[in-house]
Amino acid sequence: MTGDTHYDLDTLADLAEGLLDAGQARQVREHLAVCDPCGELLADLAAVREVLAATPTPAMPMGVALRIDKALAAEAGSSRGGVGLAQAPDWDELMRDSPWEKTAVAASDEPAPEPVRLGVVADDGTIVPARRRSARRPRWAVPAVAAAAAAAVVGTAVVSTGLLASGGGTVAPSVIAASSAAPAVTTPTEVPVRARAYALTDSQHNYSDENLALPLGKFLAPAPIIQGPSEAEQADKCVGKLTSRTKFSVFAVDQGQYNGQEAIVMASRKSKAAKRIRIDVVDPFSCKNLRKPAMGRW
Amino acid sequence: MNSPPETPSAADRPAVSDAELLTAHINGDPHAFSEIVKRHRDRMWAVALRTLGDPDEAADAVQDAFVSAYRKAATFRGEAAVTTWLHRIVVNACLDRMRRKSVRPVADDELIEAAERETPGPDQTLEREVSMEVSAALKLLPADQRAALVLVDMMGYSVEDAAQVLEVPSGTVKSRCARGRAKLAPILSHLRNRSDLSRVSSAKGAELRDG
Repeated sequence: MTGDTHYDLDTLADLAEGLLDAGQARQVREHLAVCDPCGELLADLAAVREVLAATPTPAMPMGVALRIDKALAAEAGSSRGGVGLAQAPDWDELMRDSPWEKTAVAASDEPAPEPVRLGVVADDGTIVPARRRSARRPRWAVPAVAAAAAAAVVGTAVVSTGLLASGGGTVAPSVIAASSAAPAVTTPTEVPVRARAYALTDSQHNYSDENLALPLGKFLAPAPIIQGPSEAEQADKCVGKLTSRTKFSVFAVDQGQYNGQEAIVMASRKSKAAKRIRIDVVDPFSCKNLRKPAMGRW
Repeated sequence: MNSPPETPSAADRPAVSDAELLTAHINGDPHAFSEIVKRHRDRMWAVALRTLGDPDEAADAVQDAFVSAYRKAATFRGEAAVTTWLHRIVVNACLDRMRRKSVRPVADDELIEAAERETPGPDQTLEREVSMEVSAALKLLPADQRAALVLVDMMGYSVEDAAQVLEVPSGTVKSRCARGRAKLAPILSHLRNRSDLSRVSSAKGAELRDG
């Protein structure tokens, strides 16, 4: 058959994989020795292996990893009564109903009366809000109890019972009222007013979730305040983004690290009267949150 | 698993083995399983992404697989490596998904169409371009051939390891790979002349041809 009949790709692929018996294999090889088109096909087959091997295999995206951690934390919660995995949950999802997420609405001209939603008591006794739109991401939505367990595990969701339980401001009208009257720029007494509306420091401190649960003024206030605009562009950008999103006034910003990664820590609050502050830890380049925004103290 | 990409080099091999972690998990250590996940999630992601060809589907499959592994850890008997067991769960989750979506085998004319359709965008990097073409081409294969090629050709596992993961004889893995490559050859052949691939593949082709 040499010379007049060509072999098909299946036969050549079998040859390459060693699936032909000795006689057949010899016959095909003899043909290949004299037939260029079949030799080309064989090279194409070899190229498939090379192309497949050369195709990069990307790492799991962070979003998927978080999703899985959360699903496993929920699994742990259901089988072990609240013992979760030591992984950050999807904070966007968890904190969706937090008071600050609704502030923009509450502070704007439509003070739509929002019913007080019941909170769920987490294992450590803190209260987290019950989830309202659990059907929005049905595939990996976890029950509120599991979300609470996950929040409790991280240890950073040190949330004020009063603030969270108040939901849309029905229970704590004083906070809302104070905010609408408050001046746009507020500065804590420890930090003198500069050209910038907030105090910018560059402590290069490596923050952990533990430190961020402590009064933040301890870390931010002692560092020298930067006045020049040169190194502050990124911080200004991130502050601007946060402010436009939350309408909180940012009063202190520190450039440092978070768990060894470059980060900007921003302290903001609804008004000078607010006892609690919001702490955002963001990537200095993308301004994306590196961990979920949390309540903290100054 | 004993193939090279599977085993970390001796220097950075973790002190605690996967099997020890799994035992710790069964005994109630709340952190053991997350360590297993951390070690293997990238590889599991790669397998699922390449097998399913769709990030959303892959994310669902890997999540299902890890949750399932978490639940049935106690049934792991240690007859295979933990990684083999995990791969098996992930691959089965992917195959289940494909079956549920009833992916049909593709007719020859569709393969030819796919070969003609490829028109790479001008501003894409070579790597991304190749990756997208490979993804699209793999989708044209039946599920079992795709799974075999992903494990052997893409992930670099030995035929024996892939056979263990897929729970079929080695010969079956080889023939699925051969069938799959035969179907992909017309679609991917134009990549053979890429500067970074041509040299090595023609050398390989020559080697095969000359026996």
